[in-house]
Amino acid sequence: MKRVLQYLRHYAVESVLGPLFKLLEATFELFIPLVVASIVDVGIENGDRPYIAKMVGLMVLLGIVGLICSVSAQYFAAKASVGSVSMLRRALFEHIQTLDYTTLDELGTSTMVTRLTSDINQVETGINLTLRLLLRSPFVVVGAAVMAFTIDAKAATVFVIAIPILAAVVFGVMLVTLPLYKKVQGALDRVLSAARENLTGVRVLRAFGREDDEVERFETRADALVKMQKFVGRISALLNPMTFVIINCAAVALVYIGALRVDEGIIETGEVIALYNYMSQILVELIKLANLIINITKSVASAGRVEAVIDMEPERTGTNADFDTSSEYAVEFDHVSLRYKNGGADAVEDITFKARPGDVVGIIGGTGSGKTSLVNLIPAFYSATSGHVRVFGVDVDGADRDALRRRVAVVAQGAPIFSGTIRDNVKWGSIDADDGDVMAAITTAQCADVVAAKEHGLDENIERGGVNLSGGQRQRLSIARALAKRADILILDDSSSALDFTTDAALRRALGALEPKPTMFIVSQRTSSIEHADLIIVLDGGRCVGQGKHDELLLACPVYREIYELQGGGGI
Amino acid sequence: MKTKGSGAAWRYVMATLRPYAPLVALSILLSAGSVVLTLYIPIRIGNIIDLIIGRGNVDFDGILPILWQIAAMAAATGVMQWVSGVINNRVAYTVVRDVRCAAFRRIQTLPLSYIDSHPSGEIVSRIIADADKFSDGLLLGFTQLFTGVLTILGTLFIMMRIDFRIALAVVVLTPLSIFVAKFIAQHTYSMFKLQSESRGDMTSYIDEMITGAKTVKAYGRAASCMDEFDVYNEKLAKYSLRAIFFSSLTNPATRFVNSVVYAVVTLTGALTAIGGGISVGMLTSFLSYANQYAKPFNEISGVVTEFQGALASAARLYEIVNESPEPPDGEVTLADVDGNVAFDSVSFSYTPSRPLIKNVDIDVKAGEHIAIVGPTGCGKTTLINLLMRFYDVTGGKITVDGSDIRDVTRRSLRSSYGMVLQDTWLRAGTVRENIKLGRPDATDEEMIAAAKAVHADGFIRQLPHGYDTVLGESGEGLSQGQRQLLSISRVMLSLPPILILDEATSSIDTRTERRISRAFEKMMTGRTTFIVAHRLSTIRGSDKILVMRDGDIIEQGKHDELLAANGFYAALWNSQFAAVEK
Repeated sequence: MKRVLQYLRHYAVESVLGPLFKLLEATFELFIPLVVASIVDVGIENGDRPYIAKMVGLMVLLGIVGLICSVSAQYFAAKASVGSVSMLRRALFEHIQTLDYTTLDELGTSTMVTRLTSDINQVETGINLTLRLLLRSPFVVVGAAVMAFTIDAKAATVFVIAIPILAAVVFGVMLVTLPLYKKVQGALDRVLSAARENLTGVRVLRAFGREDDEVERFETRADALVKMQKFVGRISALLNPMTFVIINCAAVALVYIGALRVDEGIIETGEVIALYNYMSQILVELIKLANLIINITKSVASAGRVEAVIDMEPERTGTNADFDTSSEYAVEFDHVSLRYKNGGADAVEDITFKARPGDVVGIIGGTGSGKTSLVNLIPAFYSATSGHVRVFGVDVDGADRDALRRRVAVVAQGAPIFSGTIRDNVKWGSIDADDGDVMAAITTAQCADVVAAKEHGLDENIERGGVNLSGGQRQRLSIARALAKRADILILDDSSSALDFTTDAALRRALGALEPKPTMFIVSQRTSSIEHADLIIVLDGGRCVGQGKHDELLLACPVYREIYELQGGGGI
Repeated sequence: MKTKGSGAAWRYVMATLRPYAPLVALSILLSAGSVVLTLYIPIRIGNIIDLIIGRGNVDFDGILPILWQIAAMAAATGVMQWVSGVINNRVAYTVVRDVRCAAFRRIQTLPLSYIDSHPSGEIVSRIIADADKFSDGLLLGFTQLFTGVLTILGTLFIMMRIDFRIALAVVVLTPLSIFVAKFIAQHTYSMFKLQSESRGDMTSYIDEMITGAKTVKAYGRAASCMDEFDVYNEKLAKYSLRAIFFSSLTNPATRFVNSVVYAVVTLTGALTAIGGGISVGMLTSFLSYANQYAKPFNEISGVVTEFQGALASAARLYEIVNESPEPPDGEVTLADVDGNVAFDSVSFSYTPSRPLIKNVDIDVKAGEHIAIVGPTGCGKTTLINLLMRFYDVTGGKITVDGSDIRDVTRRSLRSSYGMVLQDTWLRAGTVRENIKLGRPDATDEEMIAAAKAVHADGFIRQLPHGYDTVLGESGEGLSQGQRQLLSISRVMLSLPPILILDEATSSIDTRTERRISRAFEKMMTGRTTFIVAHRLSTIRGSDKILVMRDGDIIEQGKHDELLAANGFYAALWNSQFAAVEK
């Protein structure tokens, strides 16, 4: 809660004024039964019409003042909740930008989006309701009891007994049913997934003739749901009747004691009516309070989830930015291993190689062999579990992350294209790029024909995720984006898989002709994409099973030879 | 048309409710009873007040019986409320279950064409959300409407009985609060729209940037992202403030109107009381009625909209239940299938206006391997749809071992085929359940043998709980290749006489593919097999190659014959070589 309170503090005045006005309104409301009592006891008793008119005028006045108070309260509450939550949302979004890849993996996209949207919205509702109602309801309940005491202490003891019993029933029923409703939701989800699976797997299920089992599976789950719903329903159906009975029994007791006190001449008839009215006010407020508390509990849980993300450690960064582009090696791996958090085995294991500036390094291996893990170590997206990765002489572990990543451009597998124009997307690589730079990058990436074919050229709008582009076009555009960065090291992670052979070859030629020549890492499953590399690293199960040039590997590395023969060497 | 549709929906609603008619009637009776008692209690309180006149002037003999009566009535009301509540829940939940299960059962018999042409999310939302809405809106809505109307009428009746003029004042003034609530709702609608639009913008921006969080980081774009975020955030804050504030005016405003009504009743009531037209006790009762009177109005206006929604939901559900099922099953059960499959001048089209397959003849002898090739979208899936009888031919016939597949039971036909599709489907459940899907009675040994045969055993054992590992709904945690291996094990275990392999190994890396190819060969030996493949090299040894284009089979024959014919197949074959040479 501390973060939420920290932002709420910026709205301290509103946060105090909101509840304050609400309490004022409630106070005015509490006066109404007293006014009615005096109309009965004074006005009607004495047949004093002007007095009655005056008192009714007072009631209307109380109503108007109450309206003004509650409108002010609503305004301050809305302002404080919206304002503080918008700061919280910003803080959360900003913090997510600072998290490292491991944390991002761990959190997962949908969790982060939920935190930023529905959780934050729930916090907003929670703050708003708290400011508006959390003080009001208990105040009215206690206030009604206090007012009852001012009328007659003996009659008021009924309140002292009835309020705790009512509270116990209202909160008891809510507390018992709340977790049960969660279970009901779970049961409903199981019904839903049975239905969804049946449809998505319809071909397989019908192929295996499983229709009857499917019906049985669905009905079992539907029955389980109904059973649970009925059970919860029986409990929650208790709330209204029980409170009704309690309130009426209390009213009976109240009226009886009232009658005794009137008989003794201690109070008057109108005051008995007032006591009765206070009793009815309590019930409404208790139910509101219980609902409010459920809502606030949800909000507190949401706030906790939001804060858990904000409290996560931001990415560690070093300070060393002395990259020496004249050093002998652009990238050095020295017995590097990487094991992901919660990973059972090393993703890459004991990798050692050196790449000179301007070298082309090919990395090949089957799915899950560790190719992507290896290249992700270069810009320190993940930190090596052991060993050292050096870029231009600087150990990336102690390197200034921003400075390091300015030197490395990565075309990640399936990296998203963002909504905006083609130009906007390419300028991700460099904000200062002019149209000439943008076009140069696009031309090298073999994307010029795509731009030329678009009605608005560079200004053509790309929809979110690049859905109005083909897979190959998306790949080329994300290569252009990386090229615009003009980084010293360029990593292409399986970036040409959707390109046909001709375009792939042209792309490789254009990349080879780049000036100045970047150090290039090409990750591929195809030997044809990397056979001309200065150094080829063959990975199998995270281990390096061969490195060298194409011809050497064909002789020395059976895995490489096998891949080569299965693809280019042995047919198609 | 619209009225006709809702008429059918109404009849459907009535039909589903009929079995519960006695229960519903009982619940209505009970709630009517509780409404009457609830309304009667304030009168009795008023009677008591009238017996409390002043010091030494309290008629305890009159009061005590009434007090006991009130307590008894309260207890009776409580019991009736609870019982009718329980009945309502029971009926509502059971009706939902009935409706859901009926819809689900119907879906099992619907032709694939229906399921293919309706997004699964849409059908699921009908079975889940619409069924819920249906019962909530109709059943709970109905009881609420009933008690609401009864309360209003009862209150009105009692107020009229006590004093006509004050009652008139209440009747005239009460709608004011409803108007005020409506007025505010109408005028805040546009603000809510702006709020939800800016919230939508914000969400889609967040979604895009969080999905691309790694790219944002790799390109060091955090700062400019924050600038963009701020624009959305400020806009959202601005509209949220307005929407939240203005909509929160409803409560104070209606409360104010109600308190004015209350004041007017007090005024007229008190003035009448002075004239002796009404007792103080009755004034008290009157005030509590005036307080209650407005409440059901707000509820009822809500119920009406819910009603309409519920009827629309019922119509959507009815559409599924009313959909015509697949043509009836054949009588014959296929057994001991050899695997002779023949297409006898088969024609087919998904929509009558666009003919797809025309007069195709294919003759497949038992044990032959048939390859189906052609560019994307050429209709390979259509062929599988026809073989499995997911769709029925529109002309000619398909036979298996000489019998028209329309004369045999679907189940026996389909169980003669083993199918591995490119889009693997795994169910949310354990690995074991998934492999045994086709043969639930298989032993664990048989299952493991099948998994070993396709080289899936190794990775399965490395999963956290081996064969008992629970897979998520979309098989998360497994690579595409591993998912394919699981669905191959599935077929390996049931091993039917005819196989359909649709790009079965497209996501398995080259080396694993070669390893399992031996298992495939073993599986295919002696079995009629239809293979769909992109890589032509894998199918050159087939007994027959069907070349498809634009939905039709344009060439068929052996690899060499087709090459010699120098047609479309030869062009496809050569284009792959050309690409490599470049």
